[in-house]
Amino acid sequence: MVIDRRSFLKGLGAGIAGVAAGSSLLPGKLEAGGTPEDKEFMGVLVDTTRCVGCRSCEMACAEANKLPIPDIGDASAFDKIRSTSETQLEVVNRFKTAKGEVFVKKQCMHCNQPGCVSACPVKAMEKQKEGPVTWDTNCMGCRYCMVSCPFDIPKFEHYGATPKLQKCNLCWERLKKGEKPACVEACPAEALTFGTRRGLIEEANTRIYKTPKEYVSHIYGEHEAGGTGYLYLSSVPFEQIGFRNDLGTTAYPEYTKGFLYSVPVILLLWPAFLSGVSAITKRKENVRSKEGGKL
Amino acid sequence: MEGFTYVDIFATKGIEYMLVISGLLSFAFFWRFLRRPAVAIYREAENFVSAIGDWFRLPTEGIYFHQGHSWAAPEGGEIVRVGMDDFAQKLLGKIDAIKLPQVGSEVAQGEKGWSLLVDSKSIDMLSPVDGKIVEINEGLLRSPESIGKDPYGESWLMKVQAPKISANLKNLLSGGLARKWMEGVRDNLLARMNYNLGAVSQDGGVPVDGIARNLDRERWDEIAKEFFLIS
Amino acid sequence: MNRPTSEVQISNFKDFLVFMQNELKPKGKILTPFNLITGSIILLGGVLILYRFIMGLGSVVHNSSEYPWGIWIGFIVMVGVAFAGGAYVTAFIVYVLRGEQYHSIVRMAVLNGFLAYVFYAGAILLDLGRWWNIVNPLIGNRFGVNSVLFLVAWHFLLYMIAQAIEISPAFAEWLGLKKARKFLASLTLGAVIIGITLSTLHQSGLGALFLMAKWKIHPLWYTEFIPLLFFVSSIFAGLSVVIFIGTVSFRVFDKDRIDEEYRKSWDDIIIDLGKACAITMFVYFLLQVLILVHGKNWALLNTPMGYWYLTEMIGLLLFPAFLFSWGVKSGNPAPIRIAAVLTMIGVIINRVDFSIIAYKWYLPLSERYIPTFMEVVITLAIVFTMVWVFRWIVNRVPILRKPPQWAIEQEQAEMEGRAIALAPQLGLTMADGGRPIEQHKK
Repeated sequence: MVIDRRSFLKGLGAGIAGVAAGSSLLPGKLEAGGTPEDKEFMGVLVDTTRCVGCRSCEMACAEANKLPIPDIGDASAFDKIRSTSETQLEVVNRFKTAKGEVFVKKQCMHCNQPGCVSACPVKAMEKQKEGPVTWDTNCMGCRYCMVSCPFDIPKFEHYGATPKLQKCNLCWERLKKGEKPACVEACPAEALTFGTRRGLIEEANTRIYKTPKEYVSHIYGEHEAGGTGYLYLSSVPFEQIGFRNDLGTTAYPEYTKGFLYSVPVILLLWPAFLSGVSAITKRKENVRSKEGGKL
Repeated sequence: MEGFTYVDIFATKGIEYMLVISGLLSFAFFWRFLRRPAVAIYREAENFVSAIGDWFRLPTEGIYFHQGHSWAAPEGGEIVRVGMDDFAQKLLGKIDAIKLPQVGSEVAQGEKGWSLLVDSKSIDMLSPVDGKIVEINEGLLRSPESIGKDPYGESWLMKVQAPKISANLKNLLSGGLARKWMEGVRDNLLARMNYNLGAVSQDGGVPVDGIARNLDRERWDEIAKEFFLIS
Repeated sequence: MNRPTSEVQISNFKDFLVFMQNELKPKGKILTPFNLITGSIILLGGVLILYRFIMGLGSVVHNSSEYPWGIWIGFIVMVGVAFAGGAYVTAFIVYVLRGEQYHSIVRMAVLNGFLAYVFYAGAILLDLGRWWNIVNPLIGNRFGVNSVLFLVAWHFLLYMIAQAIEISPAFAEWLGLKKARKFLASLTLGAVIIGITLSTLHQSGLGALFLMAKWKIHPLWYTEFIPLLFFVSSIFAGLSVVIFIGTVSFRVFDKDRIDEEYRKSWDDIIIDLGKACAITMFVYFLLQVLILVHGKNWALLNTPMGYWYLTEMIGLLLFPAFLFSWGVKSGNPAPIRIAAVLTMIGVIINRVDFSIIAYKWYLPLSERYIPTFMEVVITLAIVFTMVWVFRWIVNRVPILRKPPQWAIEQEQAEMEGRAIALAPQLGLTMADGGRPIEQHKK
């Protein structure tokens, strides 16, 4: 069974690396010039049943982003549940479950409707048409994105004269060159699959359908927080491996939508109302002062 | 393509804010536009009323009004000072000349006492008392346009020796009666004006060419005659 | 020692320099205990601020990626803005509702609000990691129109301008600029109306900032009604601050800085303000109950965070509301003053809850945000600098004393120009005044 899956995926992996522009799992035209209509979200499917916890992805990530290279041989890193930091854009955590050790990669989820993007007052955070959520240097460091992220991912450098905001950007620079994200390329266990979000959901469903005993029947990220670019498969319920199950399916920007939509309305109604009140009190006052003056 | 391509749920926000800002500006202008005429009307009404208000400030002591808008003020003995009231002047506007009878001639209460030349038309006014003219205001004759300045003082027209002075004065109006009468005159005027406040200039003053001519450019003299009880 | 402002005559720049030179001199004793303590804190804070800009944010603040916002945002900005709410509430009462009996406090409230915004907006600059980019949302190095913070930033800026216009006649009076005063005073009503609108939006906007921190804030505090709660609480927070600052100001400032009539009217005003606070707090409490029921969160009341919530709701909301009502009913300002202070503490705690205390309440104490000594010193330095500036201005500009005679005359002339001098009998003219009129065309 395992062999079958492996060989199947090998073929799949080869397909991704090279040929067949028609395949739904391919990055497609990422270069500039493609109309937005051709551009679908790209994402990564993480199959936690396959992850062996080698942390090669962590190392590749650090190399690609020129961050301190972690010592992946040090197993003590698993003693504690780690979260991403300004020097580690992705981390692999180990969870002890009823089905044994499960390793889970954690990084930016690249939401379809990211809270951080709608939080940013200068559009330094951007959701690219191709899926990655990226950061730009016109950021003013207000850290509102950190407050608004449902997955608590963006991290701000606290030191240095020109601190930056750090988060996974799905290797946006590599994507533009037609390459896969560094972590996907580095994964020796084929736990990571890169492709269009549509294709990845199909693929994930196929895996659940084909081997229902291996998986819980849930793709984490398909609907969570409005849907995310990273999708996860697991053999155990997701809350046991460090995922929140209370995020709901509402995209985070929807929470501020009511307020933001009411702002132009209030801006129009309030001055008109106040002007009216003022006109009435002014007239009353005039009448009053008139009477007071005459009597 | 829900969930597979990017949909910016705030795509129109920028335009909306621009709309709101221009909306607020246009609101400010619209508000002023709607309110200014009202304020202007208030101002005019206010000035107009203060103008008419002057006519109410009739001298309470010693001035007796004839309903033809002339007045008489006893000087002591049988001598009576005679003039035309403020209303008459404001109704007619600029007076080109005043034709007074000769000193020594007789006038009779309720009959033609003198006439005014306004805009080449001659308007008669009624004498408030009976008697013989003993003096006329030469200074006023030389500059008839100054008649409005002090209608009950400096701008008297003539002095009359009135033998029937007490009987004459009983036919005239003073104090509260004069006030009531003037209110009636005002209402009459307002009704004619149909509240057309344009007849009063912005600063509250009466137009130089008088209220009557602003009411009716052609037949203003008839209006004046009506008020002066001539017709 | 304090020249009456009406004598000021500035005709050229040299006069202005001489005048300013004279005005810049300290008025009153310099070496008081208050000055010594606050002065040294301000000095220390200034040094630390320099240090922060050179060495980076992390060298001064508690460095935690779990808590993006510490006390500079959570306390200075959130609380400062709520406390500045007195400016728009008082301006609404005096300029829009024309409650003339409260005229004596409106300048004090607006000045306090203006300074609060200037200093607390300054605190944002300290907190921004990439502070040199602060102009980006304003100059359009990408307008983040989708962001609540973008709106808050713009409202901040615009409201500061509106408040500057509201308070500017007082400064024109100080400098003896008659024409400027007339012009600036004519802008007041417009500035007030825009100011109230902007206040409504950014008081609630500060609350709306937390809407996306859904699971990070304890459910007793997180609700979709946060913007509304922030707005309503800013009303009584602002009024309590007006009561507090008024009480202190009328005591500490020299007699010649304060108009005697103003001082006498203060005890009546304080009662009315207390009444307004009591009612708003009562309504706010009902709103909180409604939201608690709506969120079905009553079971959480019997948890440690629930006790904290109850402390806030009962001890620092209901209890001061009760004190306010007691003071109002007995005509006694003393309970009102105490209630104002309690309310201020309540609002501080409420605002700090959102970004610090109830924010990730589940983390163990070791991972929680605790402000560093340096953060606290800088915070205090900012607050004290504001107090100093406030004092400097009140000692010179007619804030608590009556405007100079010429300004009062100007005001009256303006009023009379507007008033409709209609004799009562002529009501008919007024009523029909709206008819179209044919303009006199001569």
